[in-house]
Amino acid sequence: MKGVLRIAREELRLLWRGRVALYGLALLVLLNAVAAFTSWEHWRHAAAERMRYQARANAEFDAQPDRHPHRMVHYGHFVFRPLDPLAAFDPGINAQTGHTLFLEGHRQNSPNFGEVRQSSLLLRFGELTPAFVLQVLAPLLLIFVGHASVARERESNLLRVLLAQGVAPGRLVAGKAVALLGFAGMLLSPTLLLLAGTAFAIPHRAGAAIGLGAAYGLWFLLWVAGVVGVSTLCRRGRDALLALLAIWSVCVVLVPRLAPELAATTLSLPTRLETDIAVSRELKAIGDSHDPDDPYFAGFRKQVLARYGVTRIEDLPVNYKGLVALEGERLTSELFERHAAAGFDRQAAQLLWVDRGAVLSPVLALRRLSMALAGTDLHHYRRFVEQAEQHRFQLVQALNRLQAEKLSLAQDRSSRDDRISRQHWHGLAEFHHEPPSLVETLGRAASSAGVLLLWLALLGGLLALGTRRLARSS
Amino acid sequence: MNWLVHEWRLLVRSRLAAAALLLLLCLSALAVLAGLREVQRQRHTIARVQGLQQQELQAEMQKHATKGDAGSAAYYTFHGTWDPPSPAAFLALGLRDAAPYVLRVRALALQAQLHEGESTNPELVLAGRFDFAFVLVYLAPLFLVVLHYDLVSGERSAGRLGALLALPGTGRRLWLRRSGLRVGLVFAALVTPALAGALASGTPAAGLLTLLLATAPYLLFWSGLALGVAALGGSSAAKATALVGAWVVLTLVAPTLSNAALARLLPVHQGVELMLGQREAVHGAWDKPREATMERFFRGHPEWRGTAPLPAGFHWKWYFAFQQLGDESVQAQVAAYRDGLVARQRWTERLGWLLPAVGVQAALHRHANTDLLAELAYQDRIAQFHDRLRRFYYPYLFSETRFGTDAFAKLPRFEPAPVAADLPLPPLLGLAAMALLASWGGIVSLRRIGLLQARPSAAPS
Repeated sequence: MKGVLRIAREELRLLWRGRVALYGLALLVLLNAVAAFTSWEHWRHAAAERMRYQARANAEFDAQPDRHPHRMVHYGHFVFRPLDPLAAFDPGINAQTGHTLFLEGHRQNSPNFGEVRQSSLLLRFGELTPAFVLQVLAPLLLIFVGHASVARERESNLLRVLLAQGVAPGRLVAGKAVALLGFAGMLLSPTLLLLAGTAFAIPHRAGAAIGLGAAYGLWFLLWVAGVVGVSTLCRRGRDALLALLAIWSVCVVLVPRLAPELAATTLSLPTRLETDIAVSRELKAIGDSHDPDDPYFAGFRKQVLARYGVTRIEDLPVNYKGLVALEGERLTSELFERHAAAGFDRQAAQLLWVDRGAVLSPVLALRRLSMALAGTDLHHYRRFVEQAEQHRFQLVQALNRLQAEKLSLAQDRSSRDDRISRQHWHGLAEFHHEPPSLVETLGRAASSAGVLLLWLALLGGLLALGTRRLARSS
Repeated sequence: MNWLVHEWRLLVRSRLAAAALLLLLCLSALAVLAGLREVQRQRHTIARVQGLQQQELQAEMQKHATKGDAGSAAYYTFHGTWDPPSPAAFLALGLRDAAPYVLRVRALALQAQLHEGESTNPELVLAGRFDFAFVLVYLAPLFLVVLHYDLVSGERSAGRLGALLALPGTGRRLWLRRSGLRVGLVFAALVTPALAGALASGTPAAGLLTLLLATAPYLLFWSGLALGVAALGGSSAAKATALVGAWVVLTLVAPTLSNAALARLLPVHQGVELMLGQREAVHGAWDKPREATMERFFRGHPEWRGTAPLPAGFHWKWYFAFQQLGDESVQAQVAAYRDGLVARQRWTERLGWLLPAVGVQAALHRHANTDLLAELAYQDRIAQFHDRLRRFYYPYLFSETRFGTDAFAKLPRFEPAPVAADLPLPPLLGLAAMALLASWGGIVSLRRIGLLQARPSAAPS
């Protein structure tokens, strides 16, 4: 152990003297700070704006005058997707999804005003966030700093001398790895501090913040093992650098674009327009609530009359028009739900396709893990959309129920002139989004974490192989 | 021409260089194929959707033509709009994966319909497309770096540099032609598949020209930079580090930093404002006196003032009048929203004068008609069509004419905008200027090679 630490200390001393490591470290820490600051600023601004708009939409709903309940069904409500505090660390898909959702009767709208549709192509270069810096830039710095660690000794023929003097190859490699790990630790420490601060300030996200810290720790470990491993295998530092740069560009730049491309063309999604048409056709096949002779609604009327034991809708104790509205909304919502679920399932299947790319590029697994923990992945988005849809359904049905119960059929002639008191919809519209629990998120993220661990085992094997070859070569 | 054959032999004998060029050719071909396939898929989708839409229109006609009621026909009938990909779209797919390229609208208030999203998988959109623009912007510079970084130091470490410099008639010309050959080959590897794709998809000549005029200066910029660094002293590893560092800054860090700055300096939140504002206007109308609403409508559309007054009870003309007033009431917000978006695009283009990666993206996407401006142009087209639709329905509504099968047959049809394949001159000029600057810098720094060699203390690599 003592030998290992001595070698590590010497290596670090050398790095300290070399300018690349020092400047690189300073640059990356600076960049990380800028990323953290801009990302947090953006988060704070967006979160405040959404809260403000949500409060305004809630107030506007409550302030609606006396109306026919069906007018309120069409007036609808806006919900804004709340931002997870950890989204400041890894915004994930937040810029790609809309965050403003209009809830109304008979229709399921899409969340819109996503940042990507409102941006010039600059957003396509990526966003400057702490996650981007750690995923893309940090490995590059580790490569520049560590590629020559063992190869340099071999190139300058010092390796033979060292081994002849009785330094065990395992100890030499371990020393180099410990040094690079120390450097990686310095690189990661601002992030860990940031995450610790977040965990402290927002206790209910502490688990996820710790998980993020662990995930990026694992990511750095992976690169340290890979960089030192390749360095033991290459004859010259230059070869190691080229090989590692090639690996980096394939892993970090190429595969993350290629895999989604394959997924999108293998499993394409129907357009929104087609889904809308499919829903409306299925709806027409069920029945038309406005058509007095429609078989489905004739059957429905018969059922209702039987339930209340009367023969005419005029004798019902409730407003039949309201009952039809309730039934119609139930039918449409069932269809919306089914089609939306099918769409999301297909998207999840696309992501399973992308996951296969993790065989070539662990960054895909890391990204999934990071977004899941930061609450910014597809699953979190789906949860929001589904909860908002549930809320839409409940809101519309509550209003339809008001129409059924507060208005009699005789009173309900025109949705313009027949009104009920506005007291009835006070507090009806408020939406509370319930994000998934940490346990559920961890359960979903487990497979990505598993892939990263597998990669670590693989690269550890590479390191061991390199060490054995080192021993043989002496 | 002898030297060319000679240099070519030298180059392909290096396995790394040959493999790199072959790989680049494969990646470019793959990107072009992926782009062509995606464009084909989008065309199929548009055709499929149009068919569906036609069936829907027929169904609506059968339902409403017997009743002859223009109001319910206008309320229930959706109309398809579409934005076909341009012939050059396969090069740079741009926003077409995030924004809808098919959208159906009806004669109700437009702003509530125009901003509808498309059902896309956001995690796939996040990564960005694998298209020619990606290969050119991100990958090609890396290949140039690999082919350049040890151009000089490789000779030096092989002990040939002194001999090379001592040969008569070499000097600067030697390095220039070596670098030139490399750039030429990279250019060929990139552009051959793209040109083949462009010819296959019927890109007009201006498109081919843009492709060449965007690719060449971008490659010249990077080769100039690489040559300049290669000519400096220091080890091969230090040069590779410097060049990849420059690549990271110019293609990854600076654009993302600028994006963060642009998002901060040009906030665009009016989108939500206009939605909220329009809803208040439209739904508030139900509670306002109908005559006042009609009066406001007639002020902007006096041609209907003389028509019959509103009867008791519901009338569609009042309904459609307040729908239009809803759109008109948020005109200021719509303009502000659009101005914000256009400003973002303009600033990005200006940034392209400083950052070649941004410049080449802007040029390709502008030409491919897949950028933010193209999306706005599609929205304008929808708005124009929507306006025609309204004007078409109004005579039936206000003069209470029967809306029968013949009226359905005369319904306006959406026409996509003709693709204007103009040369995106400003970004191309910016690129050319940067290419000249970098090449000049590269050539000037070549002078140092001899100086370094002459100095005995020059560090061996």
